[in-house]
Amino acid sequence: MKTRTLILAAAVAVALAFVPMFGSDVMIQFGINALVLAVLAQSWNILGGFGGYVSFGNSVFYGLGTYGTAIAMTTYNLPFGVGLVIGVVLAMLGAALVGVPILRLRGPYFAIATLGLNGAMMAIFSNLPIAGTNIGLVLPLTRNDTMFYELSLALLVACTLTVFWISRSRYGMGLIAIREDEDAAGTMGVNATLYKVTALILASIFTAVAGGIHAYWSTFVDPASAFDSTLNVRMVIMCVFGGPGTVFGPVIGSFVLSTVYEVLAAQISTAAALLFGVVIVLAVIFMPRGLADIMRDRANFTLRYFIRNIRENRL
Amino acid sequence: MKRAFAMTGAVALLAATALTAAPALAEDVITLGASVQMTGATANTGRYYRDAYQMAVDKINAAGGVKVGGKTYKLALKMLDNQSNVNLSVRQYVQLISGDKVNFLLGPFASNFVISDSSVAEKYQIPMVQGGGSSGQIFSRGYKYVFGTLPPAGNYYASTIEMMSKLNPAPKTVALVAADDSFDVSVAKGTRKLLEKAGMKIAVDQEYREGNSDFSSILTQVKAAKVDTVLWSGHETEALNFIRQMKQLNVDPNGMYAFTVGVPTSDFRKALGADANYAFGMTTWLPDASLKDKWFGDAAQFAKEYKAKFGYDPDYHAASGAADVETYVYAIEKAGSLDPKKVRDAIAASNFQSLYAQVKYAPNGQIDLPQIVVQIQKGELKPIYTTQFINKPDYPVPAWSKR
Amino acid sequence: MVLAQILLNGVLLGGLYGLMALGMALVWGVLNIVNLSHGALIMVGGYVVYYLFTLAGIDPFLALPIAMAVMFSLGFALQWGLLNLVVRSKMLNTLLITFGLDVVLTFTAQLLFSADFRTINPSYAGANFAIGGLTVPTVRLAAFGVAVGLATGIWVLLNKLPLGRAIRATAQNLTAARLYGVNPRMLYAVTFGIGAALAGAAGGLYGMISNLTPYIGASLTAKSFVIAIIGGLANPFNVILGGIFVGVAEAVTALYIGPTYTDVISFGLLVAVLVLRPSRAVRAA
Repeated sequence: MKTRTLILAAAVAVALAFVPMFGSDVMIQFGINALVLAVLAQSWNILGGFGGYVSFGNSVFYGLGTYGTAIAMTTYNLPFGVGLVIGVVLAMLGAALVGVPILRLRGPYFAIATLGLNGAMMAIFSNLPIAGTNIGLVLPLTRNDTMFYELSLALLVACTLTVFWISRSRYGMGLIAIREDEDAAGTMGVNATLYKVTALILASIFTAVAGGIHAYWSTFVDPASAFDSTLNVRMVIMCVFGGPGTVFGPVIGSFVLSTVYEVLAAQISTAAALLFGVVIVLAVIFMPRGLADIMRDRANFTLRYFIRNIRENRL
Repeated sequence: MKRAFAMTGAVALLAATALTAAPALAEDVITLGASVQMTGATANTGRYYRDAYQMAVDKINAAGGVKVGGKTYKLALKMLDNQSNVNLSVRQYVQLISGDKVNFLLGPFASNFVISDSSVAEKYQIPMVQGGGSSGQIFSRGYKYVFGTLPPAGNYYASTIEMMSKLNPAPKTVALVAADDSFDVSVAKGTRKLLEKAGMKIAVDQEYREGNSDFSSILTQVKAAKVDTVLWSGHETEALNFIRQMKQLNVDPNGMYAFTVGVPTSDFRKALGADANYAFGMTTWLPDASLKDKWFGDAAQFAKEYKAKFGYDPDYHAASGAADVETYVYAIEKAGSLDPKKVRDAIAASNFQSLYAQVKYAPNGQIDLPQIVVQIQKGELKPIYTTQFINKPDYPVPAWSKR
Repeated sequence: MVLAQILLNGVLLGGLYGLMALGMALVWGVLNIVNLSHGALIMVGGYVVYYLFTLAGIDPFLALPIAMAVMFSLGFALQWGLLNLVVRSKMLNTLLITFGLDVVLTFTAQLLFSADFRTINPSYAGANFAIGGLTVPTVRLAAFGVAVGLATGIWVLLNKLPLGRAIRATAQNLTAARLYGVNPRMLYAVTFGIGAALAGAAGGLYGMISNLTPYIGASLTAKSFVIAIIGGLANPFNVILGGIFVGVAEAVTALYIGPTYTDVISFGLLVAVLVLRPSRAVRAA
């Protein structure tokens, strides 16, 4: 990674921090949404992009963060910050508890187990009286979108710094070794279970904070929105679209897709979802390694690159 | 990597222009904004609001528009499609207020949407008059800017239970089946109290998961309990499944069975055919000529025009949506101003006759209306009871095997 | 008596569940594609039967084979034109492309068929008969029969017919299959087509028991998932048994714990099967 890139990244982050001073309310709330999604995609990147484990259970941590914050604030009248901490602790506990048994599974079986976990959590929370059952909880109203924006931005910066560290550390090398060949990584002395579980816990921290911020901002949580498996699919899509296992790919991927979706939804609302599906299908066919792969090398942005991708993956 | 950031910048710029490009507003226009379900899982009901809002706005404009302090304004409508997605609808309401600069808000369909979306209205202190959410959760938060034209969910079964006690023989045992979402839990809670007061026994009390499509376990228990009445609360597609499976499993309550939703819509009768007969239901509204209206003449004419324009019959959702638009016209004219606070106060003091009902809001912002008990008799929807019998009910309902 | 009736309900519904999962298990086992658009294919199949019944007046059970043929063509085309392009890509990419396909199918269905709910309602839809105090809904029994019949058909196809041998050979070793003169592109498309045809049959039966909207796909995919995992991918009869197991578990949960807990049980079962029997999961992978 060149120094120039890092300086540019820092400059973009600083520039984004000033958006609330100049941007419209629409811009800010689009920003909050895009930043939260970017955090989710970036956290998913830790285990999914580097470790190669496709999780559909990150929305579990999102939900735990959401409910930790919401229950603390509504039932116990605790301040927002305490709520976030409770959410994070819940999510970390959850990640550690389920991580050990579930991370023994590989390939699609891990993916499906996490999907099942999310379904089970949604069903459990819709029966929990403390969580307001399926009716959900109403949080107090705050008119401070700038705070939510800056918090989300700070979270994204923290998450990206963590991923940056991972990409340069022995720890990250270990995760990549697991992705490439888990058995070989084991013989090389990588404690695969430890690496995978810590990756899941790291992801759970950022995901839970994002959930907590979103809960307070939207003032209402219910099981369907907290444990939303399509949200998890969006994390995956944004990460993969941008470039899994890269530092900036997931962030760029989510900003681009958030914008595309927002423009589609505003301009041609009825066909928006349909087109979003088409975009996903085409992206998988023509650029299976994500935007980051194209941007790494200008020469990649040619017809030949896309055809090569198809040649590589078709039957 | 540098290209990457250049591209992000370009994308951000594109987003900025896309998001801030609001249509230029002419001076003499009052814009109402709404985000409704035009696509997605609840689009089937969302269309009533989309079409009713549009029709009411067109009608009011054709009659001259809104007069404020000697000046005449036309109404404009800015509607977005929330794709049956709550998160999207919240963002669209912010967009409507701060991007499109609409003057006032109309609501989406369904309680869970209204709960989230109305917090945007409250945040910006722009009134939202909505005809799509009736759960107690909407009105118990002390919000000042949310008004609702559907009556409280807890009272939905009040008129039905009152009618039941006047039937011969009066039902004694009841099976209460309700979905577990905000609205239906409110209905069930209220209904339990009402049944207790009426001295009826709840023999089966089951809550089911919203979106459930198989009721065979619940129905088997209902059948075994040999109840006199089934009172059911949920969503239209679930009601459809419930009736079909009642027939498949030969579940015959001794007296009757009633639903909160579905029965008044023509879709429901079309989908079930003869199996829809005998089902009791409720509606706050019937297209009756006695409901006079300043713009449409009366409710019957409204229904006729609506059917001619959109090709399907309106139900209480549509009437309630039209009343939301009318609420604004009355309130703005009375306030003599477009100031959101003044208009808000004028809405709170509303009291007018419309095609929907006599519109008047309680201090918490919600209207209170009696439900009209209806029944499908030989394929036709018949009003049965409000505070007294209007038509003779088909009672007791014959067993499935004897139809 | 209540318990006996509830067990019967669970078994009959479970047969249909099994049929839903059958196509998914076949595609998964042979092509190694976890098809997230399977539920959407079930939905499309349901609409095909619905229109054959309402517009052409064909009895829904007679319309099933026609719908299966239509769905076979659709599945064949999807695999040939689209999925074959990414089949060798990472598992993640095939998951994503089928998710994209699910979105496309769902919203195309909405544009074509509208968001209104539909039911396939022949005159005998509510018919039933009594055996020893139990009520047996005729349509559900017939649906159960169709499910078992189709599972038998698939078993015969895979184990007794040359096409089945080719399919199984491809599932085990693509290169070896190629050496024997099997055209994998064609074979993949045929297999996916069969999966879609099974989905089509399931959709038609589902429309008779429940109702159709463009949005039922996602929950049906989840259900098929659970059952394909519990039943395993190898034997069609085990998939049907998996469906019956889930159907009975849900019915009993609804009776003793409460209908709002059925999802806890079915998803809990999924996780439990995977975690407690990882050997089998890893082997199948």
